[in-house]
Amino acid sequence: MLRLIVQRVLALVPLLFLVSVLTFSFTSLLPGDPADLIVGQQGTPEQYALVRHRLGLDQPLVERYAHWVEHAARGDLGTSFFNSVKVSDAVMQRLPVTASLTAVAALIAIAVGLAAGIAAALRPGSAVDRIATLGATFGQAIPNFWFGLLLAAIFAVGLRWFPATGFTPISTSVGGWLASVALPAIALGFASSAAIARQVRSAMVGVLQQDYIRAARAQGLSSRRVIFRHALKNALVPVVAVLSFQITVLLGGALIVEQVFAINGLGTLAITAVRQQDIPMIQGIVLVMVAIVVVVQLATDLLYGFLNPKARPS
Amino acid sequence: MTETAASAPKTVARRPARRRRASAARLIVYPALGVLALLVFFAVFADWITPYDPLKQSLMEALQGPSMHHWLGTDDLGRDVLSRLIVGCRIAIIAAAEATSIAILLGVPLGLFVGYRGGWWDWSVMRLVEAIMSIPGIMVAIVIIAILGPGLHRAMIALGILFSTSFLRLARGVVLSEREEVYVRSARVVGTGDARILIRHIFPNVAPPLIVQATLTVGAVLLAEAGLSFIGIGVQPPNASWGTMLNTAASYMQLDWFLAIPPGVALVLTVLSINLLGDVLRDRIGRGIAVPAARPKAPKRPPKTAPAAGAPGRRPSPVPAPDAVLDVAGLDVVVTAGAGDEVPVLSDLGFSVRKGETLGLVGESGSGKTITGLAILRLIGTTGRITRGRITLNGRDISDLSERQMREVRGKEIAVVFQDPTTSLNPAFTVGEQIAEILRTRAGLSRRAAMARAVELIGRVGIPNPAERARAYPHELSGGMAQRIAIARALSCNPSVLIADEPTTALDVTVQQEILDLFRDLQEEFGMAIIFVTHDLAVAADICDRIAVMYAGEIVEEAPVDTLFSAPRHPYTAGLLAASPHGATRNPPLPTIPGTVPRPGAWPEGCRFAPRCPHAAPACDAAIPLGDGGHRVRCIRADTLDLRRSA
Ligand code: SF4
Repeated sequence: MLRLIVQRVLALVPLLFLVSVLTFSFTSLLPGDPADLIVGQQGTPEQYALVRHRLGLDQPLVERYAHWVEHAARGDLGTSFFNSVKVSDAVMQRLPVTASLTAVAALIAIAVGLAAGIAAALRPGSAVDRIATLGATFGQAIPNFWFGLLLAAIFAVGLRWFPATGFTPISTSVGGWLASVALPAIALGFASSAAIARQVRSAMVGVLQQDYIRAARAQGLSSRRVIFRHALKNALVPVVAVLSFQITVLLGGALIVEQVFAINGLGTLAITAVRQQDIPMIQGIVLVMVAIVVVVQLATDLLYGFLNPKARPS
Repeated sequence: MTETAASAPKTVARRPARRRRASAARLIVYPALGVLALLVFFAVFADWITPYDPLKQSLMEALQGPSMHHWLGTDDLGRDVLSRLIVGCRIAIIAAAEATSIAILLGVPLGLFVGYRGGWWDWSVMRLVEAIMSIPGIMVAIVIIAILGPGLHRAMIALGILFSTSFLRLARGVVLSEREEVYVRSARVVGTGDARILIRHIFPNVAPPLIVQATLTVGAVLLAEAGLSFIGIGVQPPNASWGTMLNTAASYMQLDWFLAIPPGVALVLTVLSINLLGDVLRDRIGRGIAVPAARPKAPKRPPKTAPAAGAPGRRPSPVPAPDAVLDVAGLDVVVTAGAGDEVPVLSDLGFSVRKGETLGLVGESGSGKTITGLAILRLIGTTGRITRGRITLNGRDISDLSERQMREVRGKEIAVVFQDPTTSLNPAFTVGEQIAEILRTRAGLSRRAAMARAVELIGRVGIPNPAERARAYPHELSGGMAQRIAIARALSCNPSVLIADEPTTALDVTVQQEILDLFRDLQEEFGMAIIFVTHDLAVAADICDRIAVMYAGEIVEEAPVDTLFSAPRHPYTAGLLAASPHGATRNPPLPTIPGTVPRPGAWPEGCRFAPRCPHAAPACDAAIPLGDGGHRVRCIRADTLDLRRSA
């Protein structure tokens, strides 16, 4: 297992490097000069030069990149162009919000997806199967933010069961956190649960036809054991393979769903940064998101290796 | 080939399901096309059919619900929602067309190019694609919009770049698989230029999956455009797109929730229609585009070949032989085929096995050997059903046990070894775990004791280093080794009957003999009765004490092995023997009697072998009973024919 971990971690290093180059060079392509924006119309050339120097814009691109990576590695993502907020502080302050929303949505998606997928696979063509298929079809067509609006209209504005807006940190109150994150997480997780249910169903239907399932039944193992141990462990292999992709999708979706519920997460930060062309901020956000994706990918890779002995290095 | 009788009805069952899907597809296609046609109509004629100017504000009429004047109400600035919705159709189509074409024009040529060139180009572009794909899509779009600035067209360029990655991968994948195809190579040999090869030979193969991908992309683009507009960096107000309308709706949620409904429903309906069309297209193209041609009709309910109880040809089941471990009498099994018809797959099946005896069930594919074994264990799925007969195990009738009681029998009293060990062992668990699990759950052993016993069993079936081998996964073992494990697992609870279903067929010839010897050894030690299912008479001759020859779901002859080989009485047995001379090479196994076993549901009324029988006579058209005694035969002319081999 240790070998697997090391192997996977090493494989992710070039990816992180490439993404950092990509992000940096992309954001440096921004038209317009941030110094212009900051100094404004009335600024003197001296002021302008000073700002450019302060922002490091007078350095060659490669040097700027080296400088940035060097600092990023130490956890310093630079300073916002528009206020003297440190990017890492701003990002770290918002990250728990977005991360917890994504995590809860992922849990919902996995739980619902597994349950619906298995139920549908056990009785193909049954009512459960048809409902699950229908749900999966709709899940992929309903935008998460609209679903969020509907949920908010019904359960927050109408029934007043949940707060309509805002976010309570888990450190303040666990119940409050759960209430504030429930609707957005359901809205966010719905589409993914549909996608996962589809995967689980098709994988499970295939596995249940395998000889080893018949052999397990022929040994007199209980249905529950056959389904949840023998079949599921195999059926999860293709599901886990797409799981990290689904979580990436959820992370992106969180940026939008946050807007529905006026949650101050990375989404709001990113949108503001885009409007202000705040390069360091955008770079920082992208890098942090990629870091999350990379960690998730690593985790699912390991899970994949655990479930599928053939994927382990021998 | 795995099994036989069981797989035949399965294909039958699948067919009508496919037909049902085809008609369901039609049910989906027309409404979906209708929605999209309406969308296009609104988009094209928006200027004529909008009841109001979609941008005209009228603060006096702000936030009104639906009324005669404003069918869908008004928004915060008093603008007519219906008019804005209709204009939104146009935006949606522009958005989808722009982003999708950019994605295709960017992704496909690049994918064709890197796939064709390979090498460094391919490597670096693919790493780049991977990097982009590891960033959440919406974030990629946000970054690109940060560079280009917000607005419909710029946002669509961003989405086009984002979605081009999937087209790139698709085109590349097709090129990689086509590049080495013979025709491309031959084209290169005659000196065709690279560009020409790409366009003339490879591109046509990209087209079908491309159409599917494009359809699915359109749906994704619409959702993404709405999302970007919703967060205010796509279409800019006051222009109406469904996304910006939802943005407004979000701000006025508390005052007028209805604002969120029209644009949301329009968006969902559109995306749903496109996705459903995409699914149907994918199904079609996946199946080779062609709609399946006219299929042979599913077999109608067959003429009732299996006579009801008491009818001629069937005697009341005799009392089981007193020393029989397992006795099967008058067993009828049906399988539900497609349209709900029940097709008989076994009829009037009867045999018994004694302790320490090996009974061979021999026959060609489709004769019903395997399903016999499964029926005894009642593992014939939800579609199979025993309609008549009695199965007596150690003096107890097990044919009407509940599923729960039956589970107790499986593994403990009757165990099975299947044909292909590489598929009958679970790939996700070590072989030791798989044996130990049975011992734990069925024999009540502790975790430790179970593992120790598993290792012991693995050693017993002739595997060296059992403790180490127990930790291996099935894919790490050879076929012969894996089959030994499967045998060890079957024997773990010391069953009184072992059903071996073609256990040597999937194995290497040199290994076959070892496995047969192992069965013999184990039988001596454990004393279980073995039902040995095989299509290979030489194997049967080697290991069986008695042989029952099966044909089309019934036993046609049963005799001690020597008698059967020296003096067969059924023409089918004689045919099998002629095709596979005793002791001669087993390869090819059964090159045979002309014709094939009739499929379940297509059995002749009288002797089922009659169409292939060289001795068939008019008398053979009636149902024929299986004789009595130590040498039973189901042939009306058995007494008059001399089928002894001249050789
Ligand atoms: S009953 Fe007639 S057709 Fe059937 S095997 Fe005997 S001779 Fe042939």
